[in-house]
Amino acid sequence: MTISYSPGWTASIREVVIGATAAEGGTRRISYRIGGESDLPCIGSGRKPLIAFEICDDPALWPDVIRSACTKLVDNPPAWAAYVDTTLQADLIRLNLTSTRRRNFDAYDAVSKTVIAVLQATSLPLIIEGSADADIDSEVFQRCGEAGEKEKLVLGTAEAARYRSVAAAAIAYGHSVIAQSPIDVNLAKQLNILLREAGVPDDRILIDPYTGALGYGFEYTYSTMERIRFAALKGDGDLAMPMICAPSDTLTIKEVRAAVHSHETAVSWEVATAVAAALAGATILVVRHPGSLAPLRTAIDSLWKEEVA
Amino acid sequence: MVQIDTSVASGIKKIAEQVAAISSFHGYQDTAYYLPISYAISGSGIDSQQAAEQVFAAAHQSPLIGAEILLASRGVREGPPYTGFIEDAVIRKLGYTLVDGSILGLALVVGNAASADYAAAICRELQEKLMLTFLSGGVITSLTDAGVRVGLDLRLVPLGKDSLAAVHFADILARVAMMFGGVVAGDAHRLVAYASERAKAFVIAFPGMTDEEVAFIDALRVLGIPILHMGGYEGHDWVQAGPTDIVRIGMEMRGIRVQVTSIPIPMACSPAFEGKAIRKEEMYAEFGGTRSPAFELLRVRDSSEVTDGKVIIIGPEIDTIPKKSAAPLGIIVEVAGKAMKKEFEPVLERRIHNFINYGEGSWHSAQRDQIWVRVSEDAVSQGLRITDLGKLLAAKFRMDFPTLLDAVQVTMITDREQVLILQKEAESIYSERDERIAGMKDEDVTLYYSCTLCQTFAPNHVCVLTPERPALCGALTWLDGKTAYEMSPSGANQPIEKGTLINDEAGEYEGVNRFVRQASHGEIERCVLYSIMDAPMTCCGCFEAVAMILPETNGIMIVSREYKGDTPSGMTFSTLAGTIGGGAQTPGFIGISKGYLLSDRFIQAEGGLSRIVWMPLVVKEELETRLRAKMESAGLSGLYEKIADETVATDIEGLLTFLTSVDHPALSMAPLL
Repeated sequence: MTISYSPGWTASIREVVIGATAAEGGTRRISYRIGGESDLPCIGSGRKPLIAFEICDDPALWPDVIRSACTKLVDNPPAWAAYVDTTLQADLIRLNLTSTRRRNFDAYDAVSKTVIAVLQATSLPLIIEGSADADIDSEVFQRCGEAGEKEKLVLGTAEAARYRSVAAAAIAYGHSVIAQSPIDVNLAKQLNILLREAGVPDDRILIDPYTGALGYGFEYTYSTMERIRFAALKGDGDLAMPMICAPSDTLTIKEVRAAVHSHETAVSWEVATAVAAALAGATILVVRHPGSLAPLRTAIDSLWKEEVA
Repeated sequence: MVQIDTSVASGIKKIAEQVAAISSFHGYQDTAYYLPISYAISGSGIDSQQAAEQVFAAAHQSPLIGAEILLASRGVREGPPYTGFIEDAVIRKLGYTLVDGSILGLALVVGNAASADYAAAICRELQEKLMLTFLSGGVITSLTDAGVRVGLDLRLVPLGKDSLAAVHFADILARVAMMFGGVVAGDAHRLVAYASERAKAFVIAFPGMTDEEVAFIDALRVLGIPILHMGGYEGHDWVQAGPTDIVRIGMEMRGIRVQVTSIPIPMACSPAFEGKAIRKEEMYAEFGGTRSPAFELLRVRDSSEVTDGKVIIIGPEIDTIPKKSAAPLGIIVEVAGKAMKKEFEPVLERRIHNFINYGEGSWHSAQRDQIWVRVSEDAVSQGLRITDLGKLLAAKFRMDFPTLLDAVQVTMITDREQVLILQKEAESIYSERDERIAGMKDEDVTLYYSCTLCQTFAPNHVCVLTPERPALCGALTWLDGKTAYEMSPSGANQPIEKGTLINDEAGEYEGVNRFVRQASHGEIERCVLYSIMDAPMTCCGCFEAVAMILPETNGIMIVSREYKGDTPSGMTFSTLAGTIGGGAQTPGFIGISKGYLLSDRFIQAEGGLSRIVWMPLVVKEELETRLRAKMESAGLSGLYEKIADETVATDIEGLLTFLTSVDHPALSMAPLL
């Protein structure tokens, strides 16, 4: 039996380059060209999603289950990064500068130092999550951008109410931007337009549709991602950006918190949400639990065969 | 008095002579942009005397390029405090603060200040208003002698005392354009566009400049940079202003606005408090709500008539108003802004309601001369005064409409006599506004407006706002859609080209269909504006009322949100709403605003008002006068009495008996199905 499939897509997802090798002016051992898909996930010749592992520079705000899984590493971002690179073999590392969440934070030089130290500890491309507070955004993102100049980082996270500093750092130092909107296709589009107006080129924007935890609103995320992908494939250039999903909410839901010593619960929840996000069209999946990497890799490898004819 | 004409002509000549006389060439260090102005304009990197001569000749001896070559060729490093040529890495940081909004614009102060006091005051004002200020020439010594501290980190950058040091201002601008504005070297058009639209810069010129300097500064006007002075120059559109106004005028000319970030009142203020009511027991005093005269009015004024942040109170303050009493209140908000238009007044005026409700101890209801305001005892005991409500309004308007409003001034009136007099004036303005939209016809405009605000929960819903069909929620008219689009061009209200007319009677347009198809993500193929049966508009869930067919009667019934009882359709409002909402297109059912019932276009395709066979009493009574007038003018007198309500029937049989007994016109109209 043959299934007739002619969806009538007229456009494709824009490509974004992450990381710069020596030949490209940076120091990474690899760089990725993501996006480019011209159909739905797992149909046609779309690229496999990449897996990013997220670490932080101040574990006080990190989920208990991860602190217990990563033990001493959590106090040493460079060592943690090296472990993720060589042992876990993630495709990318996301460094979340949780230290900036502390009250009255002003250790801006420490931000530069941390970013540089992690860049030296791993040669994987990096995603940097800067501050989450408009009052210190300007200082923090300037440091992140400068410390990673020429490395083609991905900087996060731009939101409609505070995107200028992230945008400025991306423009000034040649990085890309994560644009997050609260599970809403129109707001995602509007933020992309705002970023463009600020001067960020379209091929340096990733959409973060916001990833609800499975069982806690993920279905909204899924549906929004589908709609973003449909709109992009139908020719809406304002939404034709690759998507990044971080199911970090899964680690703070009550089932996982209750089972703090059962890493299986955390891993299952994180992997199940990440796989669903991949099927909805995510190009980068960000996980935090070291146990999530292998099963997620297996799932993706089984879903994305080299060529689906 | 320097005649700019003559000075420029002589300056251009002198620059050319000096360029021709250069004996050895020097470039800049630590830059990838050669001589940045010349590079940005011509695309050629000047790295030798020969290249300099060629580029200068090719640019028809432009004083911008000539002055840059001259200054660079001098190869002089002046040393601290002077920065001289600033390296790329630092420019990147400067550009960063410009893009991220930490600085609002760039100013160049140049020449020799006769009085250091003026110069110091101007520079302080520029610093306070978050401008990055560059200094060139003699003015620097005047400032430092007067004890003013200068430096890059103080946002007061002393470029150099050389009479041409101002060149560095332009080379910074050129590099920012290439680094941040996507301007490619050699694309002079893009450079000009970037400099005039994005890089908000202006020049303040003191007297005492050389001809070369005047020629160079005057040439900056090509980049859209206005030149202001306090006297001493004449001609060429240089703008003269007084020392206390010059910064404000410069900023206004470039549309630079200082952001308001905090509201100095003794009351918390946030959308979080919006839903909080103030009960009688908690209240200190109230205003309006039919117990005392009260009104609110927002008006656009010329910028000379509005002082930003000014709050005036006419009449007694809260401490002399008796506790628990109902006092008179007039709120007049006067706004000014280059982009502000008279049509925006009602939309902005509506925000008074939100803003007063943002206050933890203030509450607001209704609109215009119907308003009802309360302040809580708690808030008053913590020092809240009526003036503070004025400050709250002035600040919130500036915060929420930073690009629209330059200045907001508020007058709070508590004097009974004054309130009554001004209320009369306000009422005439309200009716003027009503007439403005009331008189508008769909055929008078070529653009309709969309509203996709509700796509958050009704993913494919698209409202089409026309002058004669308000949004189904009743909260937005065509004018509001137009206004919202002008205020936020990438927002949820977009213009819709009507395009070719397909069906006049039913209100179908090619352009509307095309727009709805795209905005509904391909879900909805057609949207027929005045029809309930053929491809009607989608419904989100916010509709004030539902119109639906009752096939047995060959007519339609209306049921509104406030009516909780049974209807002849067998469904209550909430059941119906759940059935047709969510962005679906359901022939036979439309979500409508009550205002649409009064429109000539109301289901015109199916015959309009004559089709209405039933509506709840609450709607019938609310609209009675206007409905009767409408029916009268349409030659349908007597129709009002023929429309049944719940006191007549809540079932089809009873309804049919009634309709037959009054000979309702719907019974004999063309079949709906």
